[in-house]
Amino acid sequence: MRVSDLIKSSRATLKHGKMRSLLTMLGIVIGISSVIILMSIGASAQDYILGQVQGLGSNLIIILPGGTNNGKFSSPAAAQGIIVTSLKQQDVDALGRDPSVAAVTEESRGQATAAFGDNSMVTTFDGVPANFFTVRNFAVQNGYPFTDADVQAYNHVAVIGSSLADTLFGAGSDPVGQYIQVKNIQFRVVGVLAKKGTGAFGIDQDNLVLVPITVAQKQMLGVDYFTDVMVQANDSYNIDFVKARVQNILEQDHNITDPNKDDFTIETQQDVLSLLGNITNILTLFLAAIASISLIVGGIGIMNIMLVSVIERTKEIGLRKSVGATNNDILQQFLVESVMLTFIGGIIGIALGGVVVGLAWLVITKVFAVAWTFEFPLTAILLAVAVSSVTGIAFGIYPARQAARKSPIEALRYE
Amino acid sequence: MIEVKDLKKDYTDEGEVTSALRGVSFTINKGDFVSIMGPSGSGKSTLVQILSFLDRSTGGSYEFNGKKIDDLSDVELARIRNKSIGFVFQSFNLLTRLTVYENVELPLVYSDVPVSGRKKLIEDAVHSVGLDEKLYVETAKLSGGQKQRIAIARALVNDPDIIFADEPTGNLDSVSGAQVMSILDGLNHSGRTVILVTHETNTAEFADRIIRLRDGMVESDEKVKNPRHSKDEFFK
Ligand SMILES: Nc1ncnc2c1ncn2[C@@H]1O[C@H](COP(=O)(O)OP(=O)(O)O)[C@@H](O)[C@H]1O
Ligand SMILES: [Mg+2]
Repeated sequence: MRVSDLIKSSRATLKHGKMRSLLTMLGIVIGISSVIILMSIGASAQDYILGQVQGLGSNLIIILPGGTNNGKFSSPAAAQGIIVTSLKQQDVDALGRDPSVAAVTEESRGQATAAFGDNSMVTTFDGVPANFFTVRNFAVQNGYPFTDADVQAYNHVAVIGSSLADTLFGAGSDPVGQYIQVKNIQFRVVGVLAKKGTGAFGIDQDNLVLVPITVAQKQMLGVDYFTDVMVQANDSYNIDFVKARVQNILEQDHNITDPNKDDFTIETQQDVLSLLGNITNILTLFLAAIASISLIVGGIGIMNIMLVSVIERTKEIGLRKSVGATNNDILQQFLVESVMLTFIGGIIGIALGGVVVGLAWLVITKVFAVAWTFEFPLTAILLAVAVSSVTGIAFGIYPARQAARKSPIEALRYE
Repeated sequence: MIEVKDLKKDYTDEGEVTSALRGVSFTINKGDFVSIMGPSGSGKSTLVQILSFLDRSTGGSYEFNGKKIDDLSDVELARIRNKSIGFVFQSFNLLTRLTVYENVELPLVYSDVPVSGRKKLIEDAVHSVGLDEKLYVETAKLSGGQKQRIAIARALVNDPDIIFADEPTGNLDSVSGAQVMSILDGLNHSGRTVILVTHETNTAEFADRIIRLRDGMVESDEKVKNPRHSKDEFFK
């Protein structure tokens, strides 16, 4: 049987039972569109999360206290909630002296309740030096950042995030010049940060209060170590070289000779990006795998309908054999029908998925005003076409063989 | 062209064995017109199904054009059915959702005739049964007599050597039946072998010879003294 005849006869059969064909396809349509939607949204979410990290600046090196157990496959101790006190002022000074380092900034963080009048909110207070604002790209939208002099003088001044400002003072009012209370200290608000929005993993990046690091360490936390240190590499040096320099300097400073015993962890933005990229890839694949279960359900639906169709068309099979069709001709005919069903279902599913992804993009960018990219990966489309066709073959082969095995006289006697 | 010796067929259905043919022997030559008669259940359809390769016998031998059927594979039998045999059924067996054209095309779909050559063959076959104006009509819309004539056109389209017809007039009124017989008679005159199953003596006598079956065996095998001819009756 020629390919053109196969396609013509399958098309005629599917068109003849239009409603049934559509309903049969529905499972595949849903399965394919959910895979497409999840893969597209996964890709957008990945873009978004990576974009947030990239916001840190490409020449930043992050130093966290504590080593990783065996160098690679575990997160630094600090990230696991263990308090490590290995990063101190002398490290910051030593790093600052190196020519490959453009700037060093550090933080000591804690949690506390911030209050203004009757309003209060649990927030993160972040002790930082004055250069923090420029190195970390924290724009002050209203008022001014505090200065080196404020830090040296232990001045009780604060720059607050926009959502904290809205909660304490009410949206639209100007907090600059007002006093807020954090941990029994009255801080004069000197600036409000530009809105950053919700960060990766849903963290509100605008609920924080920045205070001079001297005040945070001595008067609020009673510590002399840092939560993290960030180094801005000198642009004329390769980032990996600077990373190695930083490691060297800190090892010297901490009298460490065996790099496996480092009591700190250095990460560049690239390290974080590739880690996050891996995590989001795995998540996306996992979700797509779950969605593909619905494809199996769709495939079983196809098999069911094809089996019914084989019985209904027993006489047709007999007739075709009586005019010269071989078993193989019949097998091909039924197989092409089921593949055509899943293939068309797959195409509709891709289109439907595209529409849903587009609508989601519209709502997220326009209604929620989040910088969300529209992703419709070619790999997802190719995968969907391949998977739907394979589903057609996998679930169509059994009914097609049943059809091919019918003996012509049995088939012709069937009423 | 057809030679059967001691042909047997047992059907086994859920452990129960029915002997439909119990040793049938005869020879049919090219160009013969043979009627097969006999009471219902005597094995006529079974015999015709085996002769036309729709089924295999369970005993005896069958030679077609000098070839033993047992030596041929299913694919080879399908080819012979396609090229050398035309089959006309009592119940027409048209695909009613398709047009006349598409039904008559069916044997060509399974042959090596190129797509471009089909139209002429289909038009000729439909013309020879006198239904040119119905070419693109859905077969569901035809009368019984017209359906059977289309079924004959389908049997003819690959220019077979033999036409098998299993009670082709059984579902037709007498006028339509006469038309169908007239066409079959004409086909025999143009050199084709025709094997006809019927239980009407009138119809059977279009043939040169009548084989009568009873209980799966040949009861008689006789020449017809004055075969009927109906060339002038058709299309009147
Ligand atoms: N596929 C089959 N399975 C079982 N028995 C069958 C089958 N086909 C025919 N028979 C039996 O074989 C005998 C001959 O049937 P058949 O050849 O159809 O006779 P006829 O066409 O002369 O009426 C009958 O007893 C019938 O019931
Ligand atoms: Mg019969």
